[in-house]
Amino acid sequence: MEEEPACRSATLTPPLPQAGRREGAWEAALDRERALERFLAGVERRAFRIAQMSLRDHAEAEDAVQDAMISLVRNYSGHPEEQWRPLFYRILHNRIIDSQRKRKLRNAVFAWWPAGEDGEAPDPLEDAPDPAGTPDQQLEGQELLARIESVLAGLSSRQREAFLLRNFEGLDVAQTAVAMGCSEGSVKTHYFRAMQALQSVLGDRT
Amino acid sequence: MDERMRELERKSRAAFDESVEALPAQTRSRLARSRALALGELRERRVNWRSPWLPAGVAAAAALASVLVLTGEERAAQPAGPALAAIEDLDIVTDGEDLGMFDEDADFYAWAVDQAAGGVG
Repeated sequence: MEEEPACRSATLTPPLPQAGRREGAWEAALDRERALERFLAGVERRAFRIAQMSLRDHAEAEDAVQDAMISLVRNYSGHPEEQWRPLFYRILHNRIIDSQRKRKLRNAVFAWWPAGEDGEAPDPLEDAPDPAGTPDQQLEGQELLARIESVLAGLSSRQREAFLLRNFEGLDVAQTAVAMGCSEGSVKTHYFRAMQALQSVLGDRT
Repeated sequence: MDERMRELERKSRAAFDESVEALPAQTRSRLARSRALALGELRERRVNWRSPWLPAGVAAAAALASVLVLTGEERAAQPAGPALAAIEDLDIVTDGEDLGMFDEDADFYAWAVDQAAGGVG
């Protein structure tokens, strides 16, 4: 009885080495795909909120995050996992800047256009917050965030990005520098100035 | 950075985290769809790559390419036949040029064909 498996395996044709290599590579590709899915699932909501705070537009923020996801998967899925987060935010950062430039140009061209004629009516269902996430005790946090958003809107884009990536996304200085495409010293300067601005406006109200 | 700034950092981060948790269901759903779209390309590439028919497909494509190259060389050595004339006719029809001149000079072309057939100059 014990020899049976050995006999059976001896009668089988040994697998081709090439097929084995292909199978191993396929497994590696599947693992990478799963890792990417976990990464994107973990980062997408925070990335959306960061894009929304930068662009101050819900639909544009969704588009920016989608584009960043596609670009990361298409161009950087082969990079080491620890590089994905700064790379993803680098792509998103560039995409946000691109959107802001286009918007500026659009506003310059259509400055004479009557306001509100091309805007769709907001969808109350879409903008309604998740009931499970808005208990009364969170009101204070929401008000604080609304004030922070209004202060951030008045900062330079570099200061705003440094604050969003460092404080909200939790990237360290080196990762933020990769994401913003600048030196670590610049990140520290931009972040400190953003914090100073927030502190001076919000003061003791926090 | 002083203590008040650190407190502002901490409180603002907590408020941000709450806002992420409170994202509308529709937005969360759209983000998940975007993720699936982004990963779809990668998945498709992997599935196609694993297909057992891939080696056979590559071999068949190579064989087809070889046949086309060989027959192409043979054809290049042959004089242009009616098939080539038909392709040229098709080019005339499809290139969008004005065909009015052919209508206007129909009598002339008929005469030219007769002359050519009769071999009289």
